[in-house]
Amino acid sequence: MRRTHVRIVLVLSVIVSVLAIATPRAQRGYGGYSQSYSGNVRYDGKFVFIRLSYPWYGGRGAPWAHDWPRGEEHFLKIFNEMTATPVHVAESSIMGLSDPELFKFPVAYMAEPGFWSMGDAETRALRDYLMKGGFMIMDDFRGRDWGNVELNVSKMFPEGRWVDLDASHAIFHSFFEINTLDIIPQAYDAGRPIFRALFEDNDPNKRIMIIAAYNTDMSEFWEWSDTGYAPVPVSNEAYKIGINLFIYGLTH
Amino acid sequence: MFESLFSFLFKYEQLVFQQGQFVLGASRSMWLAAGVAGLAAAYVLWSYRQLAALRVRDRAILLTLRVALIGVALFALLRPMLLLKVAVPQQNFVGILLDDSRSMQIGDQDGKPRSDFLISQLGRSDAPLLTELGKRFQVKVFRFSSSAERLQSTADLTFQGTGTRLGEVFDRARQELSGLPVAGLVLATDGSDNSEKTLDDSLAALKAQAMPVFAIGIGRDRLTRDIQITRVETPRRSLKGSSLVLDVVVTQTGYAGVKVPLFVEDDGRVVSSQDIVLPGDGESETVKVRLKASETGPRVFKFRVPVQANEEVAQNNQRESLIEVYNRREKILYLEGQPRPEPKFIRRATENDDNLQVVLLWRTAEATVTVPDKYLRLGVDGPEELQNGFPQTREELFSYRGIILGSVEASAFTPEQQRMLEDFVDIRGGGLLALGGERSFSEGGWAGTPLADALPVVLDPGSRGPQYPPAELVVQPSRAGLTHPSTQIADSADDVAAKWKDLPMLTSLNPLVETKPGANVLLTGKDSRGREQVVFAYQRYGRGKALVLPVQDTWLWRMHSKMDVKDVTHATFWQRLIRWQVDGVPDRVMASATPDRVQRGEPMTLTAEVVDPEYKGINDGRITARVTAPSGKVEDVPMDWTVEHDGEYRARFTPAEDGLYKVSLGGTTRDGKETGRGSMTVRVAPSDAEYFDAAMRAPLLQRVAEQTEGRYYAAKDAAAVVDAITYSGKGITVVEERELWDMPVNLILLLGLMGSEWLYRRSRGLA
Repeated sequence: MRRTHVRIVLVLSVIVSVLAIATPRAQRGYGGYSQSYSGNVRYDGKFVFIRLSYPWYGGRGAPWAHDWPRGEEHFLKIFNEMTATPVHVAESSIMGLSDPELFKFPVAYMAEPGFWSMGDAETRALRDYLMKGGFMIMDDFRGRDWGNVELNVSKMFPEGRWVDLDASHAIFHSFFEINTLDIIPQAYDAGRPIFRALFEDNDPNKRIMIIAAYNTDMSEFWEWSDTGYAPVPVSNEAYKIGINLFIYGLTH
Repeated sequence: MFESLFSFLFKYEQLVFQQGQFVLGASRSMWLAAGVAGLAAAYVLWSYRQLAALRVRDRAILLTLRVALIGVALFALLRPMLLLKVAVPQQNFVGILLDDSRSMQIGDQDGKPRSDFLISQLGRSDAPLLTELGKRFQVKVFRFSSSAERLQSTADLTFQGTGTRLGEVFDRARQELSGLPVAGLVLATDGSDNSEKTLDDSLAALKAQAMPVFAIGIGRDRLTRDIQITRVETPRRSLKGSSLVLDVVVTQTGYAGVKVPLFVEDDGRVVSSQDIVLPGDGESETVKVRLKASETGPRVFKFRVPVQANEEVAQNNQRESLIEVYNRREKILYLEGQPRPEPKFIRRATENDDNLQVVLLWRTAEATVTVPDKYLRLGVDGPEELQNGFPQTREELFSYRGIILGSVEASAFTPEQQRMLEDFVDIRGGGLLALGGERSFSEGGWAGTPLADALPVVLDPGSRGPQYPPAELVVQPSRAGLTHPSTQIADSADDVAAKWKDLPMLTSLNPLVETKPGANVLLTGKDSRGREQVVFAYQRYGRGKALVLPVQDTWLWRMHSKMDVKDVTHATFWQRLIRWQVDGVPDRVMASATPDRVQRGEPMTLTAEVVDPEYKGINDGRITARVTAPSGKVEDVPMDWTVEHDGEYRARFTPAEDGLYKVSLGGTTRDGKETGRGSMTVRVAPSDAEYFDAAMRAPLLQRVAEQTEGRYYAAKDAAAVVDAITYSGKGITVVEERELWDMPVNLILLLGLMGSEWLYRRSRGLA
């Protein structure tokens, strides 16, 4: 009887532990939902890397989790080293688009927006987030993915107009001086990276609400920067543009 | 009644006893008789002692009665008398000073205007008091209000004077009567002196020249039905678009508990109204009035309570106040030491305010051994501004009107820069706001620095750095914070209170609890354990003010999920806070006028404070006040350095027109460098001061009389003034003896004592 009891306790403990660990991993699997990770960093004023999760449909891993967690792990170390930002270096958060906690973190990152979809509640919440002062970075998409991005953004901002940026924009000078976009590494097989921006009130003199790093994948370079995937100078450029985007989001 | 009884018993009125000197005028024979009476008293004493048959009490009573009887007789025998100095008829002068001001029109003297009494007693050739005085004295009559002059004709009394200057009329009468034998001055007034000068010098001069003032108080010393706007406290200048919270003090009698509207009008247009419940009789109520300075230029705001039924004085239901609304961009330097959301949202909150320019110097990376601090500059006017980081010189730093210090440690500044921060508040007179953060206050090593002296909170030198997790605070305004202009997050008092209850919690890494004695705490925060700390406080320091806001995320009042996307609380909070922060910050040339409102023909003193770019006074400059009259006439008035204060220049100017005068002050230094210019508007208009605090001021008139050795009379006793002056002892006098032996009271006492003894003996069977 006593041994049976001990065995039940052990089995339950293992199940709980596996569930806890598996929660974010599960979101990389299959499913049409978005939710926040139960182990997210509690707000305390410091910068937290926020990865946005969204519903997706398909058979492979969650596209929003592409390059997670190594991408932000590496990026946060560099961000902490290079800037004076008070940062949670060893931890990051995954948040659904309608999570009220998202509003405590004014800069958010979305991967693979080519697979992005959202319902009405998420549309309203993300729109409010951006209009109040939030800043969203979209990364890791190309080609026909753009149509999906345009579609989702138009749900929030039907009148929204995208503007292709050149190197003169402040976002490329918010920390590092990036005077040409030619140095931005290309993770895919064709074309050059394009930085498209959606401005507040469609006014290029106002702040950017959404920056789309189209036709490139910055986090790919961050993720593999500790391997031989890309030459160090190339990874450096990916870090530089990443830092500029996050600093711009924090300061504009 | 008392006076009549006194005069009957003692033969003379009280005044004679007060003014006279008591002496005994007995001749030698009288003294002999007195000696005999004394012996008689001694015999009586001895003989009563021999009467052993009498009981002790009988003996004592009879002895007392008999000795008192002898005493009264003795008093009469010694010929008591009063020596009086009496003014010689027609040998002395009396000045009669008649109040010709507007307040004499108030109808509270026996239900008639005060002026009626004055005219009937002193203002006509056949007036009884004037006639009586004329019988005994040479009379010189003066009228006075804002100025004083000899009265040529009674028709000159119009009671339209817009001020009452007692000091002026005292000086004028003293000068005119100087060298003449003056028995006294008769002052007929309600005593509503509204001069800015004290009376002390004038009264001392009168006393020195032996000119007593006999004051007649006309009117009641308390109005029975009146509402008065007693005071309105407004800034002289205000930045366009600022929300002002003004104190309006309302006093009343006769309308306690009545609800009345209080209107504020700008050029005849009602810009604010609210209902107020009037306080108890004689009490004052301070009403907070919210007002927006939306139109540029000199604005004359009128604060008005409608006249109520049966009010005795209608004219004091309104007051006017001039506010100069200026339109410019106030430049504020915000130094932030870390990339974090707070500065971004402060900048967003203020970027739509055309009158604020927040220049952000934002450190994005800290210095290494080989590389200096890395800064991002936002909102600068040009590429050179702040290109070397935080200003190295006072001149550069003092060009800003406000400083916001974000999360940046003290060691980021040189010792000289730290002193400059303190001097920015103390000497330049700027507004400095220190925000919370992990590198702010004690956590940033600011304890013991010069800036710590300026802050309204006490910094703990033993801090071990920021403690995570931060305190989560429910923010609430203090009593002062509910109505303070910097914390008005809505436009009405009710909305402000409700809004504060509804805002999301903030967090703080700086547990500031102890404030300095001069600090004003406007917002406090309470954590989940009930511990309270400062969230917003300020204090005056030197010429400026230092503010602290030791929280790190007011931006949550914009971003938080519970805040509606259209909610403007965060923007309102920051715009009003920063506007108040830079409100009153001096320019390099500051202009002022004393008094700030005059009547046509009254002189005023123009003052200019002129400083160099480091805000040190410029002495020996060539400073001129260029005065433009309402008609457009321009006059240059040279100003002189006062020597008393560095950089202070003064000039006297007398306006000749009603309306708004524009005054521009400035010039050159001794070396010929331009000083810059300051400006102001001066209002020249008839004063309405006569109608405020318009009850008759008996205490003031009593003081005037006492300090000059005169006397004060209520209007009903005014006739007594004639005798009072006659016996004042001033001027050319003769000494008169007034016999007292034949006072009726002596005879009554004699008969009374004798009768009492007889009655006592009879009742005791001793007769």
